[in-house]
Amino acid sequence: MLHCLNTSSNLVGGGNISDMTVLERQRARIKFQNEPQQFSGNGFSSSHQQQFMMLGCDSALGEIVTNSMKPDPDYENGFDEETVKKRKTDNKVDLNSKDKRIKVCVEEGESKIIEQRKGQKNTKFNNGNKNKRENCEDSNSKENSKGSEIQNQKPDYIHVRARRGQATDSHSLAERVRREKISERMKYLQDLVPGCNKIAGKAGMLDEIINYVQSLQRQVEFLSMKLAAVNPRLDFNIDELFAKEVFTQNFPTTGIPSEMTNPAYLQFNSAQQLVSCCGGLINNMGIIPPEIGLCRNINAPTSASLPEIFLDSSVFTHILPSSTWEGNFQNLHNVDFDQARSISFPSQPFTGMVEASNMKMEM
Amino acid sequence: MRNLSSLKKEFLRKWIKGLRKYNSQKKNMNLLERKKAIKLSADLAMASTKDKTTLWRKALFANTSTKIDDEQDMSTTSSTPQKKVIRKNSTNSYPLRKRITGRRKILRRNHTKERVEASFIAMRLVKKRTRKLKSLLPGGKFMDDSCLVDETLDYIESLKAQVEVMRCLVTSSELFINQP
Repeated sequence: MLHCLNTSSNLVGGGNISDMTVLERQRARIKFQNEPQQFSGNGFSSSHQQQFMMLGCDSALGEIVTNSMKPDPDYENGFDEETVKKRKTDNKVDLNSKDKRIKVCVEEGESKIIEQRKGQKNTKFNNGNKNKRENCEDSNSKENSKGSEIQNQKPDYIHVRARRGQATDSHSLAERVRREKISERMKYLQDLVPGCNKIAGKAGMLDEIINYVQSLQRQVEFLSMKLAAVNPRLDFNIDELFAKEVFTQNFPTTGIPSEMTNPAYLQFNSAQQLVSCCGGLINNMGIIPPEIGLCRNINAPTSASLPEIFLDSSVFTHILPSSTWEGNFQNLHNVDFDQARSISFPSQPFTGMVEASNMKMEM
Repeated sequence: MRNLSSLKKEFLRKWIKGLRKYNSQKKNMNLLERKKAIKLSADLAMASTKDKTTLWRKALFANTSTKIDDEQDMSTTSSTPQKKVIRKNSTNSYPLRKRITGRRKILRRNHTKERVEASFIAMRLVKKRTRKLKSLLPGGKFMDDSCLVDETLDYIESLKAQVEVMRCLVTSSELFINQP
């Protein structure tokens, strides 16, 4: 008992309790804890204090003793009001991240105290510790606490793991997720838009995409104008008949050359198309010559030139138009072009043509 | 990736249906009217293919329905004001947008500082282009970035199909006319 008093008197040697610095108080506490093993660190009940009071010490000394002997949380009540306020404003969730702060801190003695005090779950004490250890705190621990806080409070959100060396802020995480989504979809677009494989970077790819969409829209405009010009009455009956047949067959997917916007080119190519159609027909579809002969008979009065070309070049139309088409396309567009497809593509409407004309003949 | 041929089939059927309906309503349309009719029905057909309800389809529906309504209202009057109205409808939005963007650019120069760092320049480029893409897509003004990319994917696919079908029809009708 006297031993205790002695220690307390040492403490007081500096003057009033309020004048003691924080560190001195800590050290006092540490000494206090270490020396008396009889007193269990936690179980410092008020009964002990009362006993000391009853010893008949001087009232002032008694106060000092009781103050020093009280368990630390109460001990800290003697702190300045400023520190108390600071503690109160601190985040109480620090309880969760207590362990992290313990690891961060330098002084081992304090960690011992904290571990002893774990059971008590005294928020004031913990906040006070945080106050003292503000120098030691890393930004990481703060962010970790925030992260854990967020995950605890919002379990229905998407859980993202931050990679090594990256910020763990919730905002940056969400941004990263968004950015990854967008880049993933840009990759799909790269496959769709021709000529986008070499370009890396959002701006360039967006540029290509814009050009492509614009060209497609212009093509639609032009083609609709052309259709309107070609059909004086907007009737597609016969076309529909053959169209059904056309599309039930294998419809190839061709690259879209932008030179189709040039009407002159189309008209120039119509004869070539016919030729290639027929060539394609013979080679791919295997239409019997008698049918072709019938066609020829029908077409004789109107366009005699057509069947001649038709028959003469039947063997090598497959080769001829391919070269011309390829040359034209390479001049005007960078798209990779599949020759076989381009040839079979116009051939299919021609099959319908042949059949339609056959029907005409039958009627 | 969807089956392109099935998409095209569907598109063609719907388009021809629409065209027939249009044809039954009006007779003796001139070139521009016909073109408009073709384009409208094509747009509608394109927008109604597949079950997906993407933003641009809805916007396309809205646009085409307004255009059709306008045309039907004007059908009673004589042809020349009709043409003017149709032309106005199709082209009035474009110059407005141009003016607005011009004003925005001027405002920007006055108010904001110019940052010369590479990252900011890149960001500005990307923003410019996303704005342009939004203007291209039907209903693009209401989309955010991630949504925008999805919509463009879809739109490009359907545009491709539309162009191919139309081209096929054009060539076939041309060939058909060449040999009556």
